[in-house]
Amino acid sequence: MTTTPLTPITSRPHRTPAGGGAGPARARRISARVLVGLLLALYGVISVYPFLWMVSAAFKNQFEVVRGGHLVPHHPTFATLSQTWNQLHFFRYFVNSLEVTLLTVVLTLVVYAAAGYAFAVLDFPGRGLLQKMFVALLFVPGVTVMLPIVLLEDKMGILGTHMGLVLPFVNGGAPLSVLLMTGAFATVPKELRESARVDGAGEFHIFTRIYLPLTRPALITVALITAIPTWNEYLLTRVSLNSESTYTLPLGLQTLASENVPHYNDLMAGALIVVIPVVVLFLSLQRYFVNGLVGAVKG
Amino acid sequence: MSTVPRPAPARTAAAGRGETPRPARAAGPGTGRRVLRRRTYEAVSGYLFVAPAVILFAVMGLYTVGYGFLLSFARWNGFAPHWDWVGLQNYKDLLWQNPAYAPRLHHAAMHTLYVMIAVPLLTVLVSFPLAVLLNSARRMQGLLRSVYFVPYVTSGVAVFFAWQYILQPDGAVNTVLGSLGMGSLSQPQGWLGNPATALPTMIVVTVWGAVPVAMLLYLTGLQSIDRSVLEASQLDGAGWWRTNVSVVWPLVRPITSIVVLLNLRDSLQGFQTFLVMTNGGPGDHTNVLGLEAYRLAFLMDLAPTLGLASALGWLLFAAALVIALINLRVMRSAT
Repeated sequence: MTTTPLTPITSRPHRTPAGGGAGPARARRISARVLVGLLLALYGVISVYPFLWMVSAAFKNQFEVVRGGHLVPHHPTFATLSQTWNQLHFFRYFVNSLEVTLLTVVLTLVVYAAAGYAFAVLDFPGRGLLQKMFVALLFVPGVTVMLPIVLLEDKMGILGTHMGLVLPFVNGGAPLSVLLMTGAFATVPKELRESARVDGAGEFHIFTRIYLPLTRPALITVALITAIPTWNEYLLTRVSLNSESTYTLPLGLQTLASENVPHYNDLMAGALIVVIPVVVLFLSLQRYFVNGLVGAVKG
Repeated sequence: MSTVPRPAPARTAAAGRGETPRPARAAGPGTGRRVLRRRTYEAVSGYLFVAPAVILFAVMGLYTVGYGFLLSFARWNGFAPHWDWVGLQNYKDLLWQNPAYAPRLHHAAMHTLYVMIAVPLLTVLVSFPLAVLLNSARRMQGLLRSVYFVPYVTSGVAVFFAWQYILQPDGAVNTVLGSLGMGSLSQPQGWLGNPATALPTMIVVTVWGAVPVAMLLYLTGLQSIDRSVLEASQLDGAGWWRTNVSVVWPLVRPITSIVVLLNLRDSLQGFQTFLVMTNGGPGDHTNVLGLEAYRLAFLMDLAPTLGLASALGWLLFAAALVIALINLRVMRSAT
């Protein structure tokens, strides 16, 4: 989906049925448009409402935040954010989150770009069966496999490490990544591959030099829809990591929230630190994101 | 990969698929062997390319699924050296037999059912009109679309804590109700503290998070409708309302079924929002099936509930499969 202006589908009568009497009809049309605008704005406010309060509390000190009631802080302060970042170890958590997310994204791209290439381009016995197997994974609820994963990793000795998170995350993203990459590679004209083969290029060369550059948008999409859930992952992380030095941001938030009396200004400052990178990523790469979601759901 | 020593059948197979049929016969067995070698090379490359994905899948997917399935027939606390095989006892205990688990599960199943009915319904009721209105907006469409996407982008643990914050007794939601003169509606115990409002509030938060994707899907659907269809309906004298209800809504029915399926699945299996915001409380009034499975698996210390947790996971899987099959049937009959 592009950002070109979209054709409105509401009635836009070029000729009013009555012919004359443009005055009241026009007034009605304008008031209808105002109403539509108000409704759209209202839902916009609802969409960002919790986010606004998150920002608001992050800039309040611990006295102002408990008085509540007002959205705009009377005494805005950066102290809360800087304290959360430094004393409350959010810098440490941020680095950990970054490590887990980057590893997951890179591995996902390498593993499923290759798999997608094989599924879309190469012919080998058992291809259809393997492909179906990956899609079937979509239907297994996360909570069903979470316990066996933890038990297995305990046996393998990687429970509690970041690698122990990355491997299941990569595998968990398999259905969508395979679907998107296979779809993208299938759109590359076969003639390009045939002519490269005539020139004596090997399969790996064709893959890296011809197919990957042509499917860059799909790669970015896969990276995005892998990165954001990984950045936010909480369920497996919570039962895997047990040492505070390995905590990711969502677990850091959990630690703040489970104090007897949570300091909501610190908690919201931490939440803001979690959310901001995602918002920036989304705003700068929105196009790929929307394409990916629509493609994933329809595929 | 047994095709190497048998050139003849492989050649007929190649011919049968329409790949280089005539040159193979004209140029004799030499070319046939080359085609064969090429096909072997391609197959080997294929296996090499899928190998990392398949190995990871075998360990993290197949192995764990099989392990979990076996565990669902055993009793184990995670530390004892042996599993006690109990056959179908875990399933029986969960579904009706054991008074320590079955009533809790029934309770959680009722809550899950409420969520599964309310969330898809409300998501469609909000996102379809929203998409229609947004599609008719001439200015600011791009900006509004981004704003409506904020719940999706910020979803995750962080924004659930923000919801928790504004739903507190002295939180922003109560304040807003008070200043709008609807103070009688505000919840002095907090929206999540009152057993009567906790589950509906959780449903609203879930819908809030589900609307962006649904709205986006409807929007793409609306934009792919042929304009002439709408113009024809307007020439027939249908107004804005009639056009949307009788023409547009039936045309986007496939999207509605996708939205409903996605949300049914998430409502059945998802529990992260519940774990973060209420942890099933107050007094189990927001306990759902996914949360119950998570609790049996990880939060029971040394009680031998791991088999029960696995059994519950498989019951959820079976339910998800039934939903997917029903949806497939519906989609087929619709198209």
